[in-house]
Amino acid sequence: MKPKSSKVKIAVRDLFKVFGEDPVSILPLLYDGIDKAELQKNSDHILALNNINIDIFDGLITVIMGLSGSGKSTLVRHINRLIEPTSGKILMDGNDIMNYDESELRQLRQNRMSMVFQKFALMPHQTVLENTLMAPIVRGENIESATENGLRWLKRVDLEGSEQAYPHQLSGGMQQRVGLARALTSNAEIMLMDEAFSALDPLIRTSMQDLFLQLQQDLHKTIIFITHDLDEALKLADHLVILKDGFVVQQGEPQHILLKPSDPYIEEFVSDINRARVLKIRSVMEEGSGRKVSHGSVNADISLEALIAIAEGDTNRSYDVEDGGKSIGTISMQEVFQALVRYDIHLK
Amino acid sequence: MLSYEKVFDSLGLREWCNESKANTLTSLSELRGDKIEWWQVPFPSLDNLHKACSSIPQTRDLTASLEAGFLAVRPSLRFILDPLTQPLSWALDYTLLFFTTMPWWALVPLILFGTQYVTKSFRITFLVALCFIFFLFTDHYTYAIQTLSIIFVCTILCTLIGIPIGILMSKKDSAQRIITPVLDMLQTLPTFVYLIPLIFLFKITEAKLYGLAIMFYSIVPVIRLTNLGIRLVDKNLIEAADAYGMSPRQKLINVEIPLALPNIMAGVNQTIMMSLAMVVIASLVSAPGLGTLVLDGINNLRLGVGFVAGFGIVVLAVILDRISKTALARIDESREI
Repeated sequence: MKPKSSKVKIAVRDLFKVFGEDPVSILPLLYDGIDKAELQKNSDHILALNNINIDIFDGLITVIMGLSGSGKSTLVRHINRLIEPTSGKILMDGNDIMNYDESELRQLRQNRMSMVFQKFALMPHQTVLENTLMAPIVRGENIESATENGLRWLKRVDLEGSEQAYPHQLSGGMQQRVGLARALTSNAEIMLMDEAFSALDPLIRTSMQDLFLQLQQDLHKTIIFITHDLDEALKLADHLVILKDGFVVQQGEPQHILLKPSDPYIEEFVSDINRARVLKIRSVMEEGSGRKVSHGSVNADISLEALIAIAEGDTNRSYDVEDGGKSIGTISMQEVFQALVRYDIHLK
Repeated sequence: MLSYEKVFDSLGLREWCNESKANTLTSLSELRGDKIEWWQVPFPSLDNLHKACSSIPQTRDLTASLEAGFLAVRPSLRFILDPLTQPLSWALDYTLLFFTTMPWWALVPLILFGTQYVTKSFRITFLVALCFIFFLFTDHYTYAIQTLSIIFVCTILCTLIGIPIGILMSKKDSAQRIITPVLDMLQTLPTFVYLIPLIFLFKITEAKLYGLAIMFYSIVPVIRLTNLGIRLVDKNLIEAADAYGMSPRQKLINVEIPLALPNIMAGVNQTIMMSLAMVVIASLVSAPGLGTLVLDGINNLRLGVGFVAGFGIVVLAVILDRISKTALARIDESREI
């Protein structure tokens, strides 16, 4: 699922954001490491982002997760500069977009980035098709070929037949599919998704996540996905960043964060998760082929839950683990059950 | 009235005071040399101070100098404003001429078609037809058409001028800070007060005199509601427009104005109603139409004439309001935001 060595598309470096009267005057305090509550008490300024350094990899889904108030929505708006940082750099393919002037920035937003919003933000006075064509229309492209492209994406998100409807005539799930089609029709390489599925009810959310993953398998876009839901984060993420009170608590591969939470905050978060469903065999197996196995072989990317089902709950079995037809390690059911309760389990 | 003389004496200003000769009328009590009790001491107003010291101007000098000042700048003001406002005169004169010379059997159906087109409601078209039959039958048709023509021109011009001003206010807080007090003033100024400087500036026979009075009064709501409507556009939608790289112009045309349209139309409705209110008062300065009949009723105590014309104005108000509100409701309906 995840090519390990991917190049960094967007790098956020030393990013600070302070809301208040005179944010720049606060910066020295921040470099000294003042925390959010202290700052708010002393100076009426609100610290939204505190020394953010994250990498966003080309062609992968980077999920930024945090509770409300953690600064995740603020962070994603820095990437297309809907919000200006107080200090810091945002490097895109090595160019600092903070140096862009107004028209360069507009070009960037028109051609290279698209965005999906929590509250859909569809134009109520335009039809579904017109909404979908927003990006090409803004760019001033030929309407006919854009329409063809737009209709293709609407079909792809199962909205065929609703092209001439108005957004208010659609359900929430359908509206967000229009939002998705709008972002896809822009053909931008980077997609920003701000709590895109949070406003949907659970069943529809799950089906949207599946649709989204399906699309990503073909498209390999660079996606920054914001969510407050750890289950969603673990399901979608190739790279997971956890924010708390404006700073990055931990970032890395989701399986890694799940097995080795670096912070009590994340531990608490992770404790509610159905580990059997989220953890993959790859993450808990023993590498190499040194051990004898009692039963056949299993795929490295299936979940522990699936393996327990294969083993019919028998704790004495062990399996060969293969990836693409090649044996890469072994796993015993005891290891599986240990992984379900322990954080310090051996990692691949 | 010797109460303040001592003050000037004690300040050593007596000589300065007497430089200009006192020409104040002397009241009977002063002639009698009545003593002023402490509780009768008047407020040191301009007039009272003048009595004690004739170098101090009287209040009537203040109003007189204001008038003189206005008359002094009048030629230069006229020089600038006359050509600027001349198109308004032409628009009013030619529109009046056009609609009053058009035969009734052509104009009335045209108005009914127009009503049907914007409201898509047979009930309202029927109401409008009844009203015009009333005007035709009572020989008030020409007056009503004159009033309508003036409202027609003034509303179109107010909309054309007011919407850009409203947009400017919504975009620039500084513009809003400056323009809002002006709008407040235009709305609170008694309607007759508008007429005073205009009468000085323009000839009473010129159409722009009443045209300007009507427009100053009725442009306010369309400006205010355009500003409000654009400011009330959902921030999420503005953010989406920004995220897809719309230029300020694209944002205005594709997002802000269409979404503010219900509010803007409500402003236009208010503007129409206020022009109707003002067109009656403007008959004081030669605006033709039903207002002249009302004025006639007041001036010559012709109760019946005034009443019928007044009823005609109410009828016009009702149909204008119904038509514009129904058109507005149609816009809202097609949205259902």
